[in-house]
Amino acid sequence: MTDRLTLAVPSKGRLMEQALELFSEAGLNIKKIGHSRGYRGEIEGLDTVDVAFVSASEIAWQLKVGRAHLGITGEDLIREQITDAQNRVSFLKKLGFGHADVVIAVPKCWLDVRTVADLDEMSASFRAAHGRWFRVATKYMNLSRAFFASRGVNDYRIVESLGATEGTPAAGTADLIVDITTTGETLKANGLKILEDGVILNSQANFVASKSADWSPRVREAQNQIMQALGV
Amino acid sequence: MVAETAKKFQALESQAQTLMSVFTDAGYEAVAPAVIQPADVFLDVIGETLRARTYVFTDPDGDELCLRPDLTVPTCRLHLARDTMPEQRARYCYNGAAFRFQPILDSPSHPSEFRQAGIETFGGTSKEKDEVETVSTVLTSLKAAGLQDIKLRIGDLGLFAALLEAADMPERWRQRLQRHFWRPEAFRNELKRLSADQPVALKNLPDDLMRALKDANPMEAEQSVSDYLAESGIDFIGVRTPMEIAECLLTMIEDQNADPLPTDTAALIESYVGVSAPARAAGARLRDLTRSHDIDLSAALDVYHQRLDLLQEAGIDVVHTDFAAEFGRSLEYYTGFVFEAYAPSLAEDIPIAGGGRYDNLLQAAGAENAIPAVGAAIHTERLLAAVANEAGPHGAEGEGQ
Repeated sequence: MTDRLTLAVPSKGRLMEQALELFSEAGLNIKKIGHSRGYRGEIEGLDTVDVAFVSASEIAWQLKVGRAHLGITGEDLIREQITDAQNRVSFLKKLGFGHADVVIAVPKCWLDVRTVADLDEMSASFRAAHGRWFRVATKYMNLSRAFFASRGVNDYRIVESLGATEGTPAAGTADLIVDITTTGETLKANGLKILEDGVILNSQANFVASKSADWSPRVREAQNQIMQALGV
Repeated sequence: MVAETAKKFQALESQAQTLMSVFTDAGYEAVAPAVIQPADVFLDVIGETLRARTYVFTDPDGDELCLRPDLTVPTCRLHLARDTMPEQRARYCYNGAAFRFQPILDSPSHPSEFRQAGIETFGGTSKEKDEVETVSTVLTSLKAAGLQDIKLRIGDLGLFAALLEAADMPERWRQRLQRHFWRPEAFRNELKRLSADQPVALKNLPDDLMRALKDANPMEAEQSVSDYLAESGIDFIGVRTPMEIAECLLTMIEDQNADPLPTDTAALIESYVGVSAPARAAGARLRDLTRSHDIDLSAALDVYHQRLDLLQEAGIDVVHTDFAAEFGRSLEYYTGFVFEAYAPSLAEDIPIAGGGRYDNLLQAAGAENAIPAVGAAIHTERLLAAVANEAGPHGAEGEGQ
């Protein structure tokens, strides 16, 4: 039984800045403990709360296993990393920043492919011409599979891509991609277009609670204090 | 499953021995295919949906491997690896672990690690006889393991293929409906689309390109596509050629200009999919249905009835066997006859054994030509639970569901 609440916040970038801003606007000042490059922090005036600075994707995992009680991270990462998200976490609030869409993008020169149905339609001729299923590069393996399955698309292969995904069709390592985009500019610059019905998820930063963490009465009380300040 | 008791382990082992001895007595050769399989071959055959439930990993050399999600594909690979004449008839049996990720939590009826016992017949020349032998061997083994009350459900994907063949429509529509058969919703939508008076317009394609493609032959269309891309400043990336894209566009235009599928034919296909009845009655119903739509399905229906006769001769209770046209939709690699055995003592929607014909699988696994294949597998943990349930609460080990 723990008496302390662990709050996981992103450890770098815009997402961290905006998360800290959100808390300070609510009168909750998060500051780092010890070394300024360290990864531990606290909220001034709330001595039962530990703040952990971790990477956004690590936050999803910590919420899943219950190492963190509360966390701020993108919905895309939660949905990707927790197959049964509704059983493991609760989404407490959409935070209005960190907007990004998970989309399916194909080469612009594929004039015959504008929708997911067109893509499915193309799969047989693609296989006949190239002796393999078309390849989808993505770091969102689970989201992609679930989306394609829901649209009845089965004839494809996923290749995991951990960076520069939008360059894979031009490089020839994949034929199309499932990736995150905010303005679509990077996709365009790489000769790609988003399918008309190819938005898999409109994601943004969320305030999320773990269902598997140890929620003692003291921890609940700390949560209530934070939620009240944030107006959730 | 965290662990199993020694008692249950022993019960499974001795049950497996019973099953295997029925198989080997019937002439099936016992084999033990590898647990770890190359992911590539497997995933190509089973598709991404089952991949989501397959344990895939990378070994220290960077090769992508998987824990086998069933034993059928590994047995196909084993057959091809050792047999220089793979089209000659060969019969195998096996018992071993298979692994499937269960999205929520594993449960006694859906464990993520389970043992499959099964048989496969490759390369036979008399298909119906091999199918009946498969059903009969599996049912015999279930009885030998102590299961008394067994119900049988059958389907026939060959009938559906024959129905599409007999109905008048462009070949690519047949292929499309065949491909969508596995996905009920997509199938219904496709049928609706093909029979709609007003086909979906090719929106968003620029008018000048559309004009250029009208009545174009493939070479001209390829040129138009290349010109259009150059004029619009669109880079050509990826492996698809302008010719492939042009051909797909021409097909779309052709579809748009084609007469819609007669609503009568669409209705027949819908009614076919909905047929579900005792096996003999279903056959009669299909005959009436096709006759009233003036479509000749008699060759395929004769095969269907001939198979039922063979099943009956083998001592199988055909009267209480149900047929469903839709059955077989869940596993894409089946191509013809399919069946499932279940025990009322367990649950109707949890089959204890299942199998069927999959004539494309060996080729997908690397054979030069298509080789006929039929097989079946028993979910042995479920069989053990069903036998225990039949024995009642005071039975050997009251394994619940």
